[in-house]
Amino acid sequence: MNIDLSRRSFLKLFGAGAAATSLGAMGFGAAEAAVAAHVRQFKLAATTETRNICTYCSVACGIIMYSKGDLNAGEKAELIHIEGDADHPTNRGTLCPKGAALKDYVKAETRLTKPRYRAPGADQFQEITWDEALDKIARALKDDRDANLIEKNAAGTTVNRWTSTGFLAASATTNETAWLTYKTVRSMGIVGFDNQARV
Amino acid sequence: MTKTPQADPSMIGGVPEPPFVLLPDPAKLFETRAKRFAFLARHDANLAPYLTFLADLTALQAKLLASLPPVPPIAPEKARQAREFSMPPVERASLAEDPTLVATFVALIAAAADLEMPESARQALSAVWAADEEDRRWLLSNILSDQIPEGAAAPHLFAAAAVQIHMARLAAALDPKALIPVGVGICPSCGGRPATSSVTGGQEIDNLRYAACACCATRWNEVRVKCLCCGSTKGLAYRSAATHEATVKAESCAECGSWVKILYQVKNPSLDPIADDVGSLGLDILMKDSGATRGGFNPYLAGY
Repeated sequence: MNIDLSRRSFLKLFGAGAAATSLGAMGFGAAEAAVAAHVRQFKLAATTETRNICTYCSVACGIIMYSKGDLNAGEKAELIHIEGDADHPTNRGTLCPKGAALKDYVKAETRLTKPRYRAPGADQFQEITWDEALDKIARALKDDRDANLIEKNAAGTTVNRWTSTGFLAASATTNETAWLTYKTVRSMGIVGFDNQARV
Repeated sequence: MTKTPQADPSMIGGVPEPPFVLLPDPAKLFETRAKRFAFLARHDANLAPYLTFLADLTALQAKLLASLPPVPPIAPEKARQAREFSMPPVERASLAEDPTLVATFVALIAAAADLEMPESARQALSAVWAADEEDRRWLLSNILSDQIPEGAAAPHLFAAAAVQIHMARLAAALDPKALIPVGVGICPSCGGRPATSSVTGGQEIDNLRYAACACCATRWNEVRVKCLCCGSTKGLAYRSAATHEATVKAESCAECGSWVKILYQVKNPSLDPIADDVGSLGLDILMKDSGATRGGFNPYLAGY
């Protein structure tokens, strides 16, 4: 912003233009320089606050997750704290004991982070890729459905029931996700189906 | 005889409805702020001279309150009309000629002469004292529109101190229930910009964020993790000098390149939206070095 030209005579009275900041203009330039010298030995640390929904039940409480490091700046973020989101209309910042312990859930050493497979007769799990895992699941489902699908009932009416496979879907989903899950599962004929809405 | 404590089930299970605005109590506001400035001055040897000066100036603001003529409140009809069009009830543009504000300004610069201050500050003060009506109106209208022309920070600092007194008194008389959100990062009382925002502690408002108007000291609820300059909820990072545990951080937005300080009162209830903004000058210096634009308005920190 430029100095309003018509105010030149007024501004001249206190040596305008010499200092760019309040501190400089008020004669506290030395204090400002001291603060600058002190603070420039530090680096800026970045924390990220991320909104999310608790993973546990269908109440779907809002949470804020605090992490060290800024993903946007290409840094690696490390979770340091999770708390209830006070802006969220469902829980207004509160969490149940399970939700309050979410950080331990994330950090648990026993937490499953990759698909694992235990071969028939083996006494240990082995890690496999997602592609392998999904292929295996699809294969097993297809084989089971081909073998056990009930196409017609005793009266000869088409029913397409698949009773030998069940499906349990997660709870922390939106209505839209739940709708899609229902359509996918039911279109295959699966009868035993539940959304894990109550934990 | 001791009273047997009674169970109060109404305290349990309620869903708190946070107030949208917290209006200022001018007497308490300036007194608490002066004490905070003085406290900060005792704990920051580098910045102590400036903080001490601002402690004295804020104490003067508190002292002047008692002697100033009463502020006529905003007419309910005008407030209703503003509300109808989603506008703030206080129309700042018309206030530069308000006789009470002008009287406040004159009283402040007269009394400020007794404060201890460096030569440049005193020079600016006497220039304001000697200024004609039009120049003073220019200072007031700049502050009332949240701008400080480059190179004129010192006289505007005194004008801002006067505007703060007048606006806090005006905002205090508003009906909090009649105030509505007028836009992201805009004061619902006067349309001003926030100086900082604070994550508050306390029953019903725990962990919520309230932005504090730099002009009238109204505090209003803003959703957390949202840029107060552009309203984006994407790409926000909280920067602080050296430690992640800082109680004052810079909420910086990758979308618009601006940042506004956020004070974690939930960790330290003594933090003051204006005093601790000045007290954390180091953060401004580091953020300025990083090239980001300061979005919070504070006439005590012009040029950052």
